[in-house]
Amino acid sequence: MAYLISDEAKDLLQDVHEFCENEVKEQCKEYDKSGEWPKEIYDKAIEMQLHSLEIPEEYGGPGLSRVDIAALIEEMARADAGFATTISASGLGTKPVLIAGNEEQKKHVCEVIVNGGFGAFALTEPGAGSDPAAGTTTAKKDGDSYVLNGRKCFITNGGIADFYCVTALTDKSKGVKGMSIFLIDAGTPGLSSGHEEDKMGIRTSNTADVVLEDVRVPAENLLGNEGDGFKIAMQTLDQARAWMGVVSTGISQRAMDESIAYCKERVQFGKPVIKFQAMQFKIADMAIKIETSRQMNAYALNLMDMGKRHSKEAAIAKCYASDKAMEIATEAVQMFGGYGYSREYPVEKLMRDAKIFQIFEGSNEIQRIVIANNTIPR
Amino acid sequence: MNILVCIKQVPDDSVEVGIGADGKPAIDSITKVVNAFDTYALEMAARYKEALGDDSEITVLCVGPDEAKNSLKNCLAVGGNTAYLASDAAFSGSDPSGVAVIIKDAIAKLEEDKGAFDLIFTGKEATDAALGQTGIYLAEQLNTGVITNVIAIDVKDGKAVAKQETDEGYRMVESDTPVVLTVSKPDYDPRYPTIKNKMAARKKPIEGFDASILADPSLVGDAGAKVVAIKTYEPPKKEAGVKVQEESDEDSALKAIGMMVEAKVLG
Repeated sequence: MAYLISDEAKDLLQDVHEFCENEVKEQCKEYDKSGEWPKEIYDKAIEMQLHSLEIPEEYGGPGLSRVDIAALIEEMARADAGFATTISASGLGTKPVLIAGNEEQKKHVCEVIVNGGFGAFALTEPGAGSDPAAGTTTAKKDGDSYVLNGRKCFITNGGIADFYCVTALTDKSKGVKGMSIFLIDAGTPGLSSGHEEDKMGIRTSNTADVVLEDVRVPAENLLGNEGDGFKIAMQTLDQARAWMGVVSTGISQRAMDESIAYCKERVQFGKPVIKFQAMQFKIADMAIKIETSRQMNAYALNLMDMGKRHSKEAAIAKCYASDKAMEIATEAVQMFGGYGYSREYPVEKLMRDAKIFQIFEGSNEIQRIVIANNTIPR
Repeated sequence: MNILVCIKQVPDDSVEVGIGADGKPAIDSITKVVNAFDTYALEMAARYKEALGDDSEITVLCVGPDEAKNSLKNCLAVGGNTAYLASDAAFSGSDPSGVAVIIKDAIAKLEEDKGAFDLIFTGKEATDAALGQTGIYLAEQLNTGVITNVIAIDVKDGKAVAKQETDEGYRMVESDTPVVLTVSKPDYDPRYPTIKNKMAARKKPIEGFDASILADPSLVGDAGAKVVAIKTYEPPKKEAGVKVQEESDEDSALKAIGMMVEAKVLG
């Protein structure tokens, strides 16, 4: 079972599977240890155009449905969740522009991605995580330009991006209604990346501080209008969350695949442990969680394709799929027994990788707030 | 440059093949892929074409069942410009010499439109039966030269110059064109299809040839086959070894050596 996808996507999925098996899966084991950002793997992925799946067709993307893309992203996540996260984070960085940017801005960011660049979305600050309104980054209008100052943290692709969508307060007195988003190219004077996180998981992705010191950008780099920032950021996350559900499900699928393979090989009490119903039930529970995750991801993505509201559904997809990924990865470690706890075997990495999906792009507690707000009538 | 690459669709060679109830290899459920050596041939042709940077064209030809169209589409995504499938029930059971006859007659048809081919690539062998004869028979049929085990190619002053892999190293071989080149593993891997090339390739038509192209149908199929496989065997199963575990490692080693001397493995 998998996503219901087009014949075209089935064909592409086979290519992506082959690519990930040959170029990503084993290679990422070493990068997981070193924490180095595997540029050569990304170069190959870019050559194959795996990085630009989400770019709209009119701006040079392939023109696949979101569910078709989900199947491909899940396959990448199955090989390495950090790899899929990097690719998805460029999509995240592009979304504010596609949601609120003008034609020129849209063309610009899509061209950067299609030509092999990366994007980043910079919202989180040291004192503003689940509460983005507490941010202190400011943008002051100065003639025909804005001058930005502040520090962003935990920014995926922060150290390697070619452009950034940065939230900043244009009017501190208005709280979130005074927040705006600016499109800033890497290399703009005053913009730099700072501390890189030494993370527990998704170690093949880059997570860094983004520092803004008197960064002067032309006024036309503002996305939408002053004060639109919070709304654009929330719409961006509404879309991006479903993709994190997709990546989480890739981790779950890998954990189940590894568990089945191991339990067929591991002999105890004179037979492969897969013959024991205790193990079979664990696999069945994994399959239930994976398939239900997929259905929710697909539903949220279909709503997006149809241009319908999807805040609640994307939040459910992200929250559910990541909670299930953590449960499944933990269960996989259990099924491997002592070997599951060893770095020589693949499942402890999955457990480390899965955890962040319950935390970033809105913690699962925040997702539950979004879900409750969209469920309880006012 | 007018380039032809001949490919064969084979069962995925990373999957272990067993013998079916009919005594033949059970391959029906195994995914079909382009023979690895043919993918090297296509990659070599594509790189050569790109190096020329002119309007050279790569035609891909396959003799096989209708389902081989999928393999041809994959070839169109990684360098082939046009693709053709020679498929007919009458071709079934052809041995390498029969396949070479089919390719020769298909080439004659293709050349009516495309003009004469300068370079004709094949893999050095297919990963299924590994007979390694089709390319050589093809050169015989076409009355051209053949360079086997090619790992690099260039054309200078109208002559093909190929780097031929040998057991000891390599040698440079020159031939007039047209020439048949059977390709071994070069020092690079075939490219992956880009998403867009793959999507475009899926939409391209694959034209076909049937047995009506044959000048002499008696040379192909079961009836024309000069080589017949009598019986197919599975490789012998690996038997469990003898476990030697004495009190110390030293004793274990001595016992193992003793057993090998007894079995006359060591003198």
